[in-house]
Amino acid sequence: MPQTSPRPVRRAAILGGNRIPFARAHGAYARASNQDMLTATLDGLVARFGLAGERMGEVVAGAVLKHSRDFNLTRESVLGSQLDPHTPAYDVQQACGTGLEAAILVANKIALGQVEAGIAGGTDTASDAPIAVSEGLRQTLLAANRAKTLPDRLKALASLRPADLVPAIPQNVEPRTGLSMGEHMALTAEEWGVTRAEQDELAAASHRHLAAAYDRGFFDDLVTPYLGVTRDNNLRPDSTVEQLGKLRTVFGRGPDATMTAGNSTPLTDGASAVLLASEEWAAEHRLSPLAWFVDAETAAVDYVHGHEGLLMAPAYAVPRLLARNGLTLQDFDFYEIHEAFAATVLALLKAWEDPRFSKERLGLDAPLGSIDRARLNVTGSSLATGHPFAATGGRIVATLAKLLHEKKQQDPGRTVRGLISICAAGGQGVTAILEA
Amino acid sequence: MTRELVLEGPPDLRRIYATAALKRAAGHDGLPDLRVVRRGVTVDPDNLARYARACQFTLSERLPLPYPHLLGFPLQMVVMSQHDFPFPLVGSIHVENVITVSKPLTLADPLDVAVHAENLRLHPKGRQVDLVTEVSSGDQTAWRGVSTYLARGAEHPEAVASEPPTLDALESVRSGPTWRFGERTGRMFAGIGGDWNPIHVHPILAKPLGFPTAIAHGMYSYSRCVAALQPRLPQSGVTSHVWFRKPIRLPSTVRLRTAFEHHRMLSLLEGVKRDLDHAVLEHTW
Repeated sequence: MPQTSPRPVRRAAILGGNRIPFARAHGAYARASNQDMLTATLDGLVARFGLAGERMGEVVAGAVLKHSRDFNLTRESVLGSQLDPHTPAYDVQQACGTGLEAAILVANKIALGQVEAGIAGGTDTASDAPIAVSEGLRQTLLAANRAKTLPDRLKALASLRPADLVPAIPQNVEPRTGLSMGEHMALTAEEWGVTRAEQDELAAASHRHLAAAYDRGFFDDLVTPYLGVTRDNNLRPDSTVEQLGKLRTVFGRGPDATMTAGNSTPLTDGASAVLLASEEWAAEHRLSPLAWFVDAETAAVDYVHGHEGLLMAPAYAVPRLLARNGLTLQDFDFYEIHEAFAATVLALLKAWEDPRFSKERLGLDAPLGSIDRARLNVTGSSLATGHPFAATGGRIVATLAKLLHEKKQQDPGRTVRGLISICAAGGQGVTAILEA
Repeated sequence: MTRELVLEGPPDLRRIYATAALKRAAGHDGLPDLRVVRRGVTVDPDNLARYARACQFTLSERLPLPYPHLLGFPLQMVVMSQHDFPFPLVGSIHVENVITVSKPLTLADPLDVAVHAENLRLHPKGRQVDLVTEVSSGDQTAWRGVSTYLARGAEHPEAVASEPPTLDALESVRSGPTWRFGERTGRMFAGIGGDWNPIHVHPILAKPLGFPTAIAHGMYSYSRCVAALQPRLPQSGVTSHVWFRKPIRLPSTVRLRTAFEHHRMLSLLEGVKRDLDHAVLEHTW
């Protein structure tokens, strides 16, 4: 008998994750491509969960800095991995939200019964970045290629100017504003009165928490060494507020500038992957879920003409996500707020505490309120690990799932929850709720 | 008692080639009773990256299956350039290679590499010898490679040579990965693997040695094949056997066809334009 009526929605489980240690750009992974890193990360996940030769429902991943030759990056990585070659794959790209958006897509397909198990991930290299020819050279070469006769072809080539030979190197700049992400963030930091001291404190805490998590073996089943690197090499375990206070500012102008290389994320190389599945698939494979993927919300802000800060979209996504799930901002055991810059996290927290912002921008009668800062980024975040753009989502999902699993074991009587917030270029923000 | 020659660093292969080119085979009937050893070898990540890129392996912590051959090759050259080695260094042909991986090796492992020659034997077209490379990490031999070289000479029709398995299983396999090996392939791979044998470098150098063009390194074409197959192989307990047939003249376009069986893959690397069999590969586990 055909069963074409909608199936009931199921829970999607997070079974675990794997990533390679993140490495500062132009260092340990300088020779590795996005495909190398993603394939190695998938193979690490395959080894950890016994998936060799296993056909997955799908693998979804992406990269932000991407060569045109990598049009099918994720599928190529699957074919180079130990997964069954009959595993379909596709690429997504939503700037720094890529990894989390990939996890949302896989979780949704599992929830709808369209796939039983899938892998979500992301990879990025700032070292092996694509370099394109200049727009002038590109137009000239295309014109020469279109020309039918030799004289026409020479004529087309003759229009080339010396300046056209300078290659175009990707830049961390918003196309519509010409400002770098750091410059955008500096504007927002100033608007919200985020101080230098607060930012340096958050940065120092990120390093301290990450170092402690490594020391207690938290990452033993989340990270696989790669090319001789065993820990995120941006980590400075002995980083202090005093040392961070000595750094000169790099974004913002004048005496009010607060953002330094120490409280901003460095360019980093790395990759991550998360294994998601239905409850049935997990049971069949004798794998126990760490946490469940509950819900997600993505928002975007109109930052182009300065109506809102570039990285403030999560401030809008989170209240919508909370309302839909009948939760308050205080109903969480852990908060994973991506530290694009220390100021990003602090500005978001201030926005949620601010009655005027809540009323005028969010249309809420009361602000979401403040959070218990002891629950924020408890095993460190991007300031310490580094931030290979598309790899950050997978890092956070796997980390939070394991944190929730640990908490649940200590406190089995109640539901434990975690909130993820990731800001992204283009004025976007991707947020999600996990629970165990 | 086997003499052990311990090298502190990699030998200078260009010098070995330069002197070997002047040396004629001494016609000895035995093999030098010698083991050439390097201890605590660490893989150069830069060289590994270049090898991985050239052969299209994924650059990862795990060494590609053929890679330890590159660590043993310079030691093979030291054995083969000994005055009492019965074959000429230039002109000996790599005809067969068997690699057995009993434990996966990683970039982080300090490796002991040891090479000796054994099993000097007659071949219908001359004589053959095996150069055995053993790579160990800790106390355990993790990787063993047997490279068989042929020196053409007095014919021995009665001698028995190792033949590749029958290719019947490949009859129904119509296509597979196809690669263009450009004119510079030999120089490119020599720069990575250190095998500067003149037959691979340039037609001008290959011609006096009887080749109309430069030819691709067997270890390069073999590595390309393994790279295309490795995702479907287990990480250890694998034997990778290659029989090299007609050399690949550069430039050339070649195709790999593979039949997948239970615990076995049988592959043929063949020319696309001319009907030439370049190599037969059998992987078992």
